[in-house]
Amino acid sequence: MNFFEYVAANRAEVLYNTVEHIGLVAASCGLAIAIGLPLGVLLTRRPGLSGPVIGFANVVQTIPSLALFGFLIPLPIIGGIGARTAIVALVLYGLLPLIRNTYTGISSVDPAVREAARGMGMTDWQLLWMVELRLAAPVILAGVRIAAVWGVGIGTIAAAIGAGGLGEFIFRGVAMVNNAVILAGAVPAALLALAADGGLHLVERALDWRRRTAA
Amino acid sequence: MRGRTASVVPAVCGILASACGQPADSVVVGSKNFSESILLGEIVAQQLERAGVPVDRKFNLGGFLCHQGLVEGKIDVYVEYTGTAHAAILKLPPERDPVRVRQQVDSIYRERFDAVWTEGLGFENTFAILVRRRDAVRLGIRTISDAVPYMRTWRPVFGYEFTERADGFTALARHYGITLERQPVNMELGLVYRALADGLGDFSSGNSTDGQIAALDLFMLEDDKRFFPPYEAAPVVRRAVLERYPAVRGALATLGGTISGDRMRELNRLVDVEHRPVTEVARQFLLDLESRSASR
Repeated sequence: MNFFEYVAANRAEVLYNTVEHIGLVAASCGLAIAIGLPLGVLLTRRPGLSGPVIGFANVVQTIPSLALFGFLIPLPIIGGIGARTAIVALVLYGLLPLIRNTYTGISSVDPAVREAARGMGMTDWQLLWMVELRLAAPVILAGVRIAAVWGVGIGTIAAAIGAGGLGEFIFRGVAMVNNAVILAGAVPAALLALAADGGLHLVERALDWRRRTAA
Repeated sequence: MRGRTASVVPAVCGILASACGQPADSVVVGSKNFSESILLGEIVAQQLERAGVPVDRKFNLGGFLCHQGLVEGKIDVYVEYTGTAHAAILKLPPERDPVRVRQQVDSIYRERFDAVWTEGLGFENTFAILVRRRDAVRLGIRTISDAVPYMRTWRPVFGYEFTERADGFTALARHYGITLERQPVNMELGLVYRALADGLGDFSSGNSTDGQIAALDLFMLEDDKRFFPPYEAAPVVRRAVLERYPAVRGALATLGGTISGDRMRELNRLVDVEHRPVTEVARQFLLDLESRSASR
């Protein structure tokens, strides 16, 4: 049975796992943004923390996924087997680009612009919201893009801990020595990654356009 | 600064060269990505080195990369299990007689892959059904048949291979009349043991010689209705290599029948539980072998 025949014969399952995969990636990306973005902003306010925090996010990247799962299994609440553990791991892997790009994006805002905003009497929050985040938006969004594309790719390891997703086909195909089954997971995952990258690129362009027309 | 660059460049080139260009004149020994396979790969590699054969190690290959490597001539020898070759690689219909399994596998490998199965190492590794030891004691179960009534409501945790293979769970369930109320959770096998030990499942699949079974206090249920065929482990070697390096055949034959099931479990335990380096465990094993055959 070749790839097309396999997908045709199992299209309901392929679709189900694709949706499951999107769910895993969306949940983990959303959480990574919710944690990474404020953390990145915090680091610009407390630059002394940036070394240790970014260092930690870097180290997390180097932990092999199976080892990470092994650490997580015995933990209460965030551990165990299934989707929750997979999402925790994916969030940890996704943090680095978000923290780093937020931190770099805001840090590279021209100090003169910041001074001018202060001179206009802006509060800290206004400065952050109306000046820094807007100017840093392209860099931050680039971080989101990296996190999303990575998430789709490494999301396939979720199947190693019983969380389903497209990795399920990859692991099954490997166990069966059947390339058609591996491709049934790998090809949709590649398409998803392209779609996520392309979609976020459009968002980036739209923001850019708004900024230009506003100026 | 310049001086440092000058010394770094050749070093980097050296690393790249050793990584990319494999020495043309050596036997490439492969292994799969779990402790037992790596250990057996190291034993084979050291045994060949002792026989004066130059060796290049390509260990820790996932999935069926070893097999693909063997077919494409990138791997010259690795230790495979007759049952895995029979069911998963060649996809032959399930066969219960281990001798027939070996014969079929050997003749097809010669013909199709130009590779030879050398003498078995002497132990069998097969699928196993595991429970936590304390559950086995509490419920007084010893065999798979004892556990069948409980399995209905138990949470199963399986490795992918056990779920997918024709000689895996579906056939086992038919053989023993097992019915499940809960969908099995499929996971990477190394994590399956952890999950079972931590109480996240109630029974699981496993490989009978894995060191983690004893280390995590798991209990292997006896296959009382003899479903799992005993699969033997043996080095598979490309015929071209046997012709090019005549010493290989003798070196591998010396290993034949030298590792019993208990011995393999003990060796796995040294690596998995006592965390002794694989190279050291392999060296010690070969030294013991030498002294035993000398005293004989």
